[in-house]
Amino acid sequence: MYGRRASQLLKDFSANEPGQISAFDTENFDQVIKECDAHHLELQALMRKIQEEGLDIQTTRNADHYGAVIHHLALIRNKRCLMAYVYNRAEIIQSLRWKVGPVLPEEVQEKASYSEEEYFKNHSAALESYMSEVELDLTVDMVPPKDPYTKVRVLDDIGDVFLSDQSPNLARHSIHFLRRTDAEQFISQGLMEELSS
Amino acid sequence: MARYFDIDDIIMEDELISVVYQVGANGVGLLDPGAERNCVEQGAKVELPFWLAHELHMRQAVVVSAPPCFNQKTRKEIQADAAFVDLRSRCPYFYEFGCKVAPLIGDRTIGSFLLYAFTGRYKEVLSKAHSSAFISTPKSTLLTKEETQLYEAARSSMAAFKKWRVGGPRFERASILRKRKPTD
Repeated sequence: MYGRRASQLLKDFSANEPGQISAFDTENFDQVIKECDAHHLELQALMRKIQEEGLDIQTTRNADHYGAVIHHLALIRNKRCLMAYVYNRAEIIQSLRWKVGPVLPEEVQEKASYSEEEYFKNHSAALESYMSEVELDLTVDMVPPKDPYTKVRVLDDIGDVFLSDQSPNLARHSIHFLRRTDAEQFISQGLMEELSS
Repeated sequence: MARYFDIDDIIMEDELISVVYQVGANGVGLLDPGAERNCVEQGAKVELPFWLAHELHMRQAVVVSAPPCFNQKTRKEIQADAAFVDLRSRCPYFYEFGCKVAPLIGDRTIGSFLLYAFTGRYKEVLSKAHSSAFISTPKSTLLTKEETQLYEAARSSMAAFKKWRVGGPRFERASILRKRKPTD
């Protein structure tokens, strides 16, 4: 059936949990593009046939016309599936910049295609240049804070870091009282956890 | 066009629907498994995915008949006990698909049937699942994709409400990383 492989691509995509991506399915993606080429050839052949019979291509409504229409529709459908696949993946990749910071996590990097990595880098660069222009980090304080400070436990050996108001040694299992804006990045990267007071 | 990139919308349009060709079409033998030549004959009865059937219907090339998930048998079952009908296996996008199909087959009863099915099932399955004291997962195998999304939305808002009432940590590790084990 026409368009079957293309919609399978999207079914595989939607089988992931929301916000998660699997490896870019290059094989099926290329196969669908090949299908599009095949539809295009068939479409052209049918249009040529109509013209050779001396009929007006605008008004003819014979079997060749409807064959051509079906190939045209199948092509459009395949295109829509491919576009949706790329678009929805790009949305997720873009959202990662806001969630985990300017470096793509390793496990995502393996799954992203080359263009997706480039997209992430460019989006990140655009965001950073904007943030430096307005002198404000837009990616912090995604949750409105009640208190500017929060108590955290360090989950991994981070070592000495310079934060906005102190430079603590973030050894594993140590507990600190940090500014929320400093802690937020570490928490979303899974290096700290927030302790409820 | 607004839903051009909507994956659920695309997958839903893949649902098969049976049509009768009013015209012949050359070069598309794949569509009719019984065809002898590489074409579809006039009068051929074929199952087409909705995205194709819909467009051909607009060009008056095919006549669409009602898909089996809206037949009398299903309607009777829904009337008997809406909550325990397995709609998922009949059509995972029962409501959306029904809305899209109704104008094509000119059946005015489909709209009210969908509404009846939804109100019945909403009351029986979805709202009960939230008000019950223990966390009982609804029979998710019976729910359509749309109902599952509705259930998830309600569940997450209940969870958010409880979290807000109790308090607690508000920052979380990014969901994309949650599968990684902490390094020892």
